[in-house]
Amino acid sequence: MSAALLQILLNGAASGGVYALVALGYTLIFSVLGVINFAQGALFSLGGYLTFLLMGGRIGVNGALPGWHLPVALPFWMALLLAAIGAGVVALLVERVAFAPLRRRGADPLLSLITSLGAGVVLVNLLQILMGAEGYAFPAGAAALEGLPEALLIGGARIRTVQVVLLLISAGAVAALTVWLERSRTGQAMRAVAEDPTAARLMGIHSGAIVRLAFLLSGMLAGLGGGLIGLSVSLAGPYFGISFGLKGLAVLVLGGLGSVPGAIAGGLLMGLAEALIPSAASGWRDALAFAVLFAVLVLRPSGLLGRRLQEKV
Amino acid sequence: MLRSGGLNTGSSDLLSARRRGSVRLAGAVAVAITGLAVLGRNSDPAGKPLPAAVTLGAAIALTGNANLYGQDQRVGLELAQRWFASTPHPRPVRLELEDGASDEPSAIAAFNLLIGRGVIALIGPTLSQQAFAADPIAQRQGVPVVAPSNTAQGIPQIGSFISRVSAQSSVIAPLSLDEALERDPQISRVAVFFAQDDAYSTAETAIFQKALAERGLTPVSVQRTQLADNDFQNPITAALQQKPQLVVISAQAVDGGNLIRQLRELGYRGQIVVGNGLNTPNIYPICQRWCDGVLIAQAYSPDLNTPINQTFRRLFQDANGNRTPGQITAQAWTAYQVLFEALQRLQKRGEMDGVTLGEARRRLMQEVLAGHYDTPLGPIHFRADGEVVQGRFYVAEVTMEANGRHGSFRLVRSFDVDSDAGGPTP
Repeated sequence: MSAALLQILLNGAASGGVYALVALGYTLIFSVLGVINFAQGALFSLGGYLTFLLMGGRIGVNGALPGWHLPVALPFWMALLLAAIGAGVVALLVERVAFAPLRRRGADPLLSLITSLGAGVVLVNLLQILMGAEGYAFPAGAAALEGLPEALLIGGARIRTVQVVLLLISAGAVAALTVWLERSRTGQAMRAVAEDPTAARLMGIHSGAIVRLAFLLSGMLAGLGGGLIGLSVSLAGPYFGISFGLKGLAVLVLGGLGSVPGAIAGGLLMGLAEALIPSAASGWRDALAFAVLFAVLVLRPSGLLGRRLQEKV
Repeated sequence: MLRSGGLNTGSSDLLSARRRGSVRLAGAVAVAITGLAVLGRNSDPAGKPLPAAVTLGAAIALTGNANLYGQDQRVGLELAQRWFASTPHPRPVRLELEDGASDEPSAIAAFNLLIGRGVIALIGPTLSQQAFAADPIAQRQGVPVVAPSNTAQGIPQIGSFISRVSAQSSVIAPLSLDEALERDPQISRVAVFFAQDDAYSTAETAIFQKALAERGLTPVSVQRTQLADNDFQNPITAALQQKPQLVVISAQAVDGGNLIRQLRELGYRGQIVVGNGLNTPNIYPICQRWCDGVLIAQAYSPDLNTPINQTFRRLFQDANGNRTPGQITAQAWTAYQVLFEALQRLQKRGEMDGVTLGEARRRLMQEVLAGHYDTPLGPIHFRADGEVVQGRFYVAEVTMEANGRHGSFRLVRSFDVDSDAGGPTP
């Protein structure tokens, strides 16, 4: 394989892995509730900021409490885990305020798009009030990667070490989630609710608890993604998660709504599509990536690995 | 009962009833429009007497992608307001901040809001792209605008009420290239990166590329990025295949900071020249130790040894834990200072007594353009078209501390520039 082709594959995999992680969060909720949680991007941002604070990071001069910091300074990996849990808890709160009331009233699921969007905007603005507008970066060496070179040369292609780490963790999280969904009793219950909520309820599955679990896990995935991106490229203001959220949404549709393997395939395809753009046309990267999305949806409206919905009469 | 949706109902009574209804509706609309026009005329603050305490309105980006700059500007404006309020002055001045966000519609809305509230002059908006949309509104209503950070070509030429304290990038951008070429005269391969979805960055890269051409250098790679990008693996690896010896970046603080970091991580060791978008200490936490050595041309140097700059620097450090102020903050202070001093001069001459707000705005604009100001940027004055004339510019090198968390723009060289004549002289 030529170095140029390998470089493209590595570039595509590096960004595609993160897209897949974000898309998985959407997938979990969509499969259970049939709705999209537009607050996912804000939870992504939240995960990054929580990781920063748990590592002992100080709030900048434009924040509400300039110079304030938590009385702890945890190692990156522990901070990342706790931040993911924190983002999961906030996702539960989003479910409680933006989704549950509409569900109880039997409202059109489309309305939850707006309420979740509202919850996301509130979250991002709260982050901005608390943390200020400035960018934050984790200290160099935060992830104990100091002993490693900054970039790895693989077959003539170059990739940043931190991106390899990020890719491995994303792959690990996706694999763990897949195994859990397939093998564990709760995972199977979640799939049952996704398949047919009424039948699942008749089988004694507490669908409310499953919905909350889906939100907790999707929030954790978003939090994990935000912390990892913070390690790789810094936290570029409270809005940084929104762009990842949008890309994750595109990947969700590309892979097939509600399909876990589809989210992974969609993420990698989107990453590769972006990486394939020649340097002279780099300005068209997003346009081409979304053209791929368009083309796939025209050929397969249910996405790469999504199931065709059948209307029963 | 079903209602007919067709055109022909077949009933002449119904048709005439509809006609009568339409006439009544048209009459009501006409009365409402006339009423609103009368009310609008009466509520136009330009015709009212100038209040005792005049208000300066600032529409800056407190939210959105450009809020990094807007927050720096807020600090500069508030410091200036407190400082000048503590000095003896005949006419009290208030400052009203409004979020102009980071897009054109928000800047327009903020301008309209502040003008409607009766501000005597406006400071802002943050981005040149916003200025092209919002400044014509102030121009049409005769409200002076002093832009603190718009450096794109053509801003003062929007109209006679528009001026700026931020020197246009065509004057200062090439200075850092000269510094890089002097450090390494063997440079022949240059890679250029710019944010293609940002009007300022695209204008600035054109200036950089023209300056490169004038120095006999053709870019071996031109990479287009976007403001929202944060992963630059693709464009960087493509550019590095061309083995550049110099990289020139026109971007904003966050995307540019990440770009620098990733360039270094992917093995680029040559010189990096950046444009005005990265002219803020906010890049330090983003590119950290990788910022070290980056060259930038500036319109402000914290090392300028004048009483007003010492005061500005001391006040900034007192309020911000010993940090060093950046150009954006200094320019915001300067915009406030220009308007404040022009106002006080008019007041001392009695030219603000018994006039309407509209007339006061017109006189203030003339006075702004006529004055000379000793500011943290150095001495400045204005050309008749509102363009700032600044005598001295600087090239700085980013120097990061060993921990990689804090840094400063270390002054490398200053250039005396005769803006009216054109070229800079070191």
